[in-house]
Amino acid sequence: MIRSISLSTVVLVGCILAQSTWFDAISILGVVPDLSLIVLIWLSYTNGPVEGAISGFLAGIAQDFLSSSPLGFNAFVKTSIAAAVSLLHGSFFIDRLFLPFVLGAAGTLAKAISIASLSLFFGDKVHSYSFLDRILWIEAAYNGLLAPAAFFMLSLVKKLFSMTQGRE
Amino acid sequence: VPEARSRTSDRGRRTVPVILLAASLLCLTISTRSLAGLPEQVGISVFGFFQKGFSAAGTFVAGTVAAIAELRRLRASYDELAAKFERYTNLERGYSELREENERLKTQLGFAEKLVYERIAARIVAKDPENLYSTMIIDKGIENGIHKNMPVVASQDGIEGLVGKVVEVGRGSSIIVPLYDSSSFVATRLAKMRYEGLVSGQGSGDRPIIMRFVKKRAKDEVQFGDLVVTTGYESIYPSEVAVGRVRSMRVLEYQTSIEIDLDPIIDFSRLEYVFAIKAASATGAGTVPQEPSLPPGNTR
Repeated sequence: MIRSISLSTVVLVGCILAQSTWFDAISILGVVPDLSLIVLIWLSYTNGPVEGAISGFLAGIAQDFLSSSPLGFNAFVKTSIAAAVSLLHGSFFIDRLFLPFVLGAAGTLAKAISIASLSLFFGDKVHSYSFLDRILWIEAAYNGLLAPAAFFMLSLVKKLFSMTQGRE
Repeated sequence: VPEARSRTSDRGRRTVPVILLAASLLCLTISTRSLAGLPEQVGISVFGFFQKGFSAAGTFVAGTVAAIAELRRLRASYDELAAKFERYTNLERGYSELREENERLKTQLGFAEKLVYERIAARIVAKDPENLYSTMIIDKGIENGIHKNMPVVASQDGIEGLVGKVVEVGRGSSIIVPLYDSSSFVATRLAKMRYEGLVSGQGSGDRPIIMRFVKKRAKDEVQFGDLVVTTGYESIYPSEVAVGRVRSMRVLEYQTSIEIDLDPIIDFSRLEYVFAIKAASATGAGTVPQEPSLPPGNTR
């Protein structure tokens, strides 16, 4: 389990670093996809609540260090999304296109809702999405489109992330 | 039993100094308030290191791919530059005369004392991983003399403009918040008419920045393309640094002030290098080599 959590965290942090350095080149109207969110959704859906939440929290803390967001902001968002997605753990069979798209897009909207709930308590200290703004909807669509490819790639290395692997 | 007791007391004794050392360190940390901002500082130092690695790898791959096309472009550029060089040689002569005249006029106007700003050049290695925040990460930190709240400027097309300010500093990298971030506020004035206002961003580099609280009587004087500069009232930003140019204006009947939309002087989408600046010393006029420059057509 520790090995799996460590690997998941490393992959998530790698995605965050890639987002901050390379993804500017593939932005659409200045909006970059949230690859770490997609990977987190897949991890939480595949492995259940503990692994997703812990690696989401750790990756969120790392992201807070690389951003002007207050410490704990992304940790909260990522942990809450991991917890929410893990409720669906094993409920559906993930196909190649449709469900990954839905999870990627809905995960982005869940992120916006999670941030909106934070802004209720912290006000101006945290930035939040405007639901009428194009940025949120472009990001949701972009994440949705990227999710099938990311899920497919991750399914190829599923054994590495599997919690049961360590016990065998 | 006596031996076991002696072993336990031995272990206890060895632990006491460690606990006391830890307690004294804790007291020291709390009393000096060194903990404030420390987690963020350590975090950005550690992750900034990896971020630089990622950025370097990306730059290397992109650079290699672009190198082939670059060679072809270089040839064309060389010819173009040779022609330009000839023109600039002629222009330089006129520029020297203008510079001398400018210095003379400055002295006459009594601009005896001016601050010279020390600049620390830095490269932008990363941006915020999220779309929500618009921070940028530069490859210089504490060890290069960068401090929190330092103003950051950049030069583009021969014009120097305000980029933002440093909000977090690590050992070898720092986080800057750009002018267009919604949490950024800069005291500014119209360079020509001298009306003052407060500039804030809308969270995206694609959108105009907004100058608020400008006196309503300015509405008849403000013109498209007018330059807006910093006032220097705050302790953070130096005065007369170019911020943006007037794009449009909103006059709301029920308000006592007008809102002006500005195009930032800096095109943030192609920003690569910046300068963090700190006030160094006061000196006489005529020794201000790094004074913020104004675009052609604007004079002070």
